[in-house]
Amino acid sequence: MKRRRPAIIGVGRTKFGEHYESGPEKLVEEAGLRALDSAGVGRKDLDACYFSDYFLQITNKIGIEEGFLSELLELHVPMEKMRSLSSALLNACHGVQSGKYGIVLVGGVEKMTDRWDKIRDDLMLLEDPWSYYAGCTPEANHELLLRGYVKKYGISGEQLEKFNVALAQISVKNHHHAIENEYAQYQRDISVDKVLKERSKACKSLGLYDFAPISDGASALILASPEIAKSYSDTPIQVLGSSSATDYVTFPSREDRTGFVASAMAMRSALKMADIEVGDIQIAELYDQSTLLEMISLEDLGFSKRGKAWLDIYNSCKEYQGFYEIDGKKLFVNRNGGLKADGNPLGATGGAQIFEVAKQLKGEAGNRQVEVNGDPPRFGCVSEFEGFGTKAYIHILGRD
Amino acid sequence: MSSEPIERRVSYIGDRLRGSQCTLCGKEYFRGKDYCGKCGRKSFGKMKDIDFFYEKGKLEVCTLISEPTNKFVKMGPYVYGIVSFHNGKVRVPGRLTDFILEDKELDFHSFEDREVVPRFRRRYAVTRSDIVPTISLAFTVADDYYPHQEYEISKPKKEYETPGIVGYGVYVSKFRIKEGMRERSVPFIDEDAVTAAVEAGKMALIHSGVDHSLIGKVYVGSESNPYAVKPIASKVAQVLKLGGEEKTDGVQSVDAIDTEFACKAATSMFKDAASLVYYPRAHTPYTMTVGADNSQAAPRDELGGELDLFVGYGGSAFIFGMHDVIAELEGWYSCTSDTPDFWRRDREPYPRHGGRFTGEPAYFKHVLMACRKLMEQLNLQISDVDYFVSHQPNIGFPVRVAQELGFKEDQYMPGLQVAKFGNTYSGSSPIGLAAILDRAKPNERIIIVSYGSGAGSDAYSLLTTSQIKEKRRRQKFTIRHQIENKHLEYVDYPTYRRLKHGL
Repeated sequence: MKRRRPAIIGVGRTKFGEHYESGPEKLVEEAGLRALDSAGVGRKDLDACYFSDYFLQITNKIGIEEGFLSELLELHVPMEKMRSLSSALLNACHGVQSGKYGIVLVGGVEKMTDRWDKIRDDLMLLEDPWSYYAGCTPEANHELLLRGYVKKYGISGEQLEKFNVALAQISVKNHHHAIENEYAQYQRDISVDKVLKERSKACKSLGLYDFAPISDGASALILASPEIAKSYSDTPIQVLGSSSATDYVTFPSREDRTGFVASAMAMRSALKMADIEVGDIQIAELYDQSTLLEMISLEDLGFSKRGKAWLDIYNSCKEYQGFYEIDGKKLFVNRNGGLKADGNPLGATGGAQIFEVAKQLKGEAGNRQVEVNGDPPRFGCVSEFEGFGTKAYIHILGRD
Repeated sequence: MSSEPIERRVSYIGDRLRGSQCTLCGKEYFRGKDYCGKCGRKSFGKMKDIDFFYEKGKLEVCTLISEPTNKFVKMGPYVYGIVSFHNGKVRVPGRLTDFILEDKELDFHSFEDREVVPRFRRRYAVTRSDIVPTISLAFTVADDYYPHQEYEISKPKKEYETPGIVGYGVYVSKFRIKEGMRERSVPFIDEDAVTAAVEAGKMALIHSGVDHSLIGKVYVGSESNPYAVKPIASKVAQVLKLGGEEKTDGVQSVDAIDTEFACKAATSMFKDAASLVYYPRAHTPYTMTVGADNSQAAPRDELGGELDLFVGYGGSAFIFGMHDVIAELEGWYSCTSDTPDFWRRDREPYPRHGGRFTGEPAYFKHVLMACRKLMEQLNLQISDVDYFVSHQPNIGFPVRVAQELGFKEDQYMPGLQVAKFGNTYSGSSPIGLAAILDRAKPNERIIIVSYGSGAGSDAYSLLTTSQIKEKRRRQKFTIRHQIENKHLEYVDYPTYRRLKHGL
């Protein structure tokens, strides 16, 4: 049975970073208008809105975001609020697939710098309370996962040094990609030495340059039913697969603490839905909240073999050519700079990932456009988490 | 702001690390659960309560937290990781406590795969008007200062005619400040009078082997309760599960009360504790008396700052009963007069004292009188007494009082611990008593005289029994262990003030 495949007919986003002068309204408006413009639809064409943010209640005292959006759009259509943009997109897809909605606005925003002094405490809302009570920080679980991984695969000595360099290369590579991304928070190169130096300064296995920053920003996209999409675009980007999976919020009580079960499960079902193989995917936007997470995602999603992703990265980055080479296949990863350099305004992050893959598939990515055999890539995937792998979302996008 | 219901639930589970186990398949959970995820519906009613409070865990992986989140900032850098119990059946997050990591090169991965023991500590910093949050997801390494001790409940072998001490425990922190010849104990930043009271009670249960549910009343004496209104004793009762537990209500069938009379708040209750177990209609086989203080003193350059040279930190707990007694209570004498030699007004952070008057009309008068009257009452001569211990605000006072009474060095020196721990206020003379019980032979007589400013003294005569020796093997955390310990950490004066001030 051929599934009804919703299509992305427009995308828009703001620059990520610190928006001192703009409130969430301004950011949402900017991203939303760009998406509407790029699709060529008006706000009155919208049948519904799915919106995402994590902390607007805390950072900006906005409790019922739908009402806030209604006021902004002067619309009274059904609206729902999710945490992540991937979650909003997944639910919007369900709405379109069911035939209930024709055109849907999916958007997200986060205004983290409005609570600069308390945001790390707020970020602990993404972990379980017991870890928080025991003294966990937003970074701690990444380092525990790293330790678990290194111990499980017996990586030590020279291997461990290579492993550490491989993780640093991820950060360097993502920063390099972001130079061509006018929306990115950091458009500058860094060096492996710099990453390593920050680690040794912190006396830890991951340092400042291993983690995604605190950001403000908004992103939006317009989703349409396949029939409607045809009338707006000759080359609509189809959502071939969209899926999610869930794991225990308490990291220590998970069965596997060297990877993310939810991520692997979501990928399997998304691939099945899209009816393609993992090897068909040419470009991926992975959730590099830390460099480690980009590496682990390569394994969880099935691109690299278990325990080998860091070697794939290390070998690809010796003389980096813009992509990872895994088993002779090219995989473009985080061409927008990833969360590390593009920025990570939680509720909007997924939108920037979708934005990138959609632009690349359409061949509209400008200076950072990638090509496979002279053409823009055909299949791309986006992986996003809520919490530390507690919820994993996978979207597979494709074009005809 | 912490919410009251959340704090109640978190402390109910987290203070004791409560969990459940499926009796069908053996699967374990941290936190209570009414059914097992593996066995499903048929496991309803088949879940057993367990807790990890007396257990030993393993730190599987860890990392350094050099930039804690807001509420943890005062704690300074610490090691955080995953602790597994029962060979990985249960894993919990945990913070390693009792390490001052600043300016130190530390290979924190060396803590991995080491055994760790839960400690009862403050959770994080809150504002002064908030509920003080506590947790036992704080751990120390098992081969460090605090040894792991199993809590084996044993059936009583012998009933005595006179009530007495059945078991005891002393808890003094790992940190010390050394000034000249004087050493004093210093709390770690997440410790206070409440945490010391609980830990001392835990040690006493371990030493006595008494079933915690048979303790019918707990008294906690302190003058440094972090609350002006709210008992420490309720925390001790709940964390140590004293008395039977009405699980559905989360309530303990135990009477718990805080007492206050400067440094004799705990010793004053020895006679009440002993009397209660003696009274058949009380149906109280055992009672527990705890004295714990994070002894307060103003900084050195402020009014009352002289005390800052003497104050310590620690707690002691004594369990009284009629069974398996290690020291029978022969008699007592108490005296009181309204002598304002040391006081702390409401809302004042530090106490003040009457200077030179604290010795002559206060300490010496009461201690001498209580001791003399007790010996008269029991018709005792100095030679009938093997050990003498009195309240120890400094080294001079207890030595002088012992000499004035006619005691010799070998009678009063074993109990003189102030040079090692400082003045632990409510825990002071009881810690001296514990040091004596640690070494006393059967059939030896001990006289303990406490002193509380305000003022009054309690004198007790105790006669050790043959069971004192056999119970000794149950307690590794002796006074000597706490004095002669290679893991002791000495801090400088600014660190001492910071740690003492706490979270």
